[in-house]
Amino acid sequence: MANRTVNTALYVHGTNPQYLIDKTCRQRIYDSLYWKEHCFGLTVTGVMEKAVDLTAIGGCFGSTNRPTEFICLLLKLLQLQPDRQMVDALVDQEDFKYLRALALVYFRLTEKPKEIYPKLEPLYKDYRKLRQRLYSGKHEIICVDELIDKLLTEQSVFS
Amino acid sequence: EEDEQRRRKGLKPLARQSTGVAAGKPRELLQARKQTVNLEGMVGKVQVVQASSAASGQPGFYCSVCDVTVKDSLTYLDHINGKNHQRMLNRGMKVASETVDDVLAKLESLRRIHRQRLEQRSIEYDFHEQVKRQELLKEEKKQRRKRAQAHKKSKQRQQGGDAETSSGVHNGGGRGGDDDDDMLAMMGFASFGASKRA
Repeated sequence: MANRTVNTALYVHGTNPQYLIDKTCRQRIYDSLYWKEHCFGLTVTGVMEKAVDLTAIGGCFGSTNRPTEFICLLLKLLQLQPDRQMVDALVDQEDFKYLRALALVYFRLTEKPKEIYPKLEPLYKDYRKLRQRLYSGKHEIICVDELIDKLLTEQSVFS
Repeated sequence: EEDEQRRRKGLKPLARQSTGVAAGKPRELLQARKQTVNLEGMVGKVQVVQASSAASGQPGFYCSVCDVTVKDSLTYLDHINGKNHQRMLNRGMKVASETVDDVLAKLESLRRIHRQRLEQRSIEYDFHEQVKRQELLKEEKKQRRKRAQAHKKSKQRQQGGDAETSSGVHNGGGRGGDDDDDMLAMMGFASFGASKRA
């Protein structure tokens, strides 16, 4: 129940939106403490609250494939499927960079290329630094524009 | 009762109905927790078992709402996130659906909180005040250590016998601080000398 996509959700790219994150990573998220304790029963505003307190972006890391809080919240957003206007509001806001990063990745995952390029390319001018948790577990600095470049050109990010 | 009869027939037991005050009202929407779940509160603690039911006396994580003990912290979280438990609390499994306006309002409130935090941070830092505060803390620590030493000395005077040697050992090793002594006291080693019980 806690891991099911919301009833009203539409399929994205032909699958359940949660399946946009691959099975191994998804299973690790479902099994994690953060997901069970903090991501249970969240609404979009709840996710926003948590995202504002994020300190790093990243996927699963370490020998145990532990998920970052960032990717847990990303999966939560995929589960909730906020509508386009909400996501636009979260991408356009400039106050909270980790919230913006979360919304950007969500946008890139769920939208079509015709929407993605006009939305993401102007944000190349955002030079703020983010902390990324690499697979090794170490942190690295990445800028928002670097993140957008990865989202637009690479096949997989955070893996 | 009814569950037994159903089990004999090979049917599943009935879904648990919410009991008590909450019964009769329409089900609320699923809500996120406001406080963190306390999984580590009882670690290392010793407690006399006063089992009001078979389940509450078992070791593990006890859920009083459902009268169930679970052995594992993750399974416990799965339980309190699960359908049965939420039904007991008269909550359905659906979350509130939200609109753009909710999101925008939330953004505004987050901005406000963030601004307040920044303002507080800039107000609070005053160099001279900080210096004064640090000096006060140092004084307090000194006083605490003196008191602890005096307390230990009086205790050893009571025990007599190896008082000389034990106090010698103690003073040598005890400079490390009050935290260690508290830790040792908690573990049952009040002092290095012979204890009263011997």
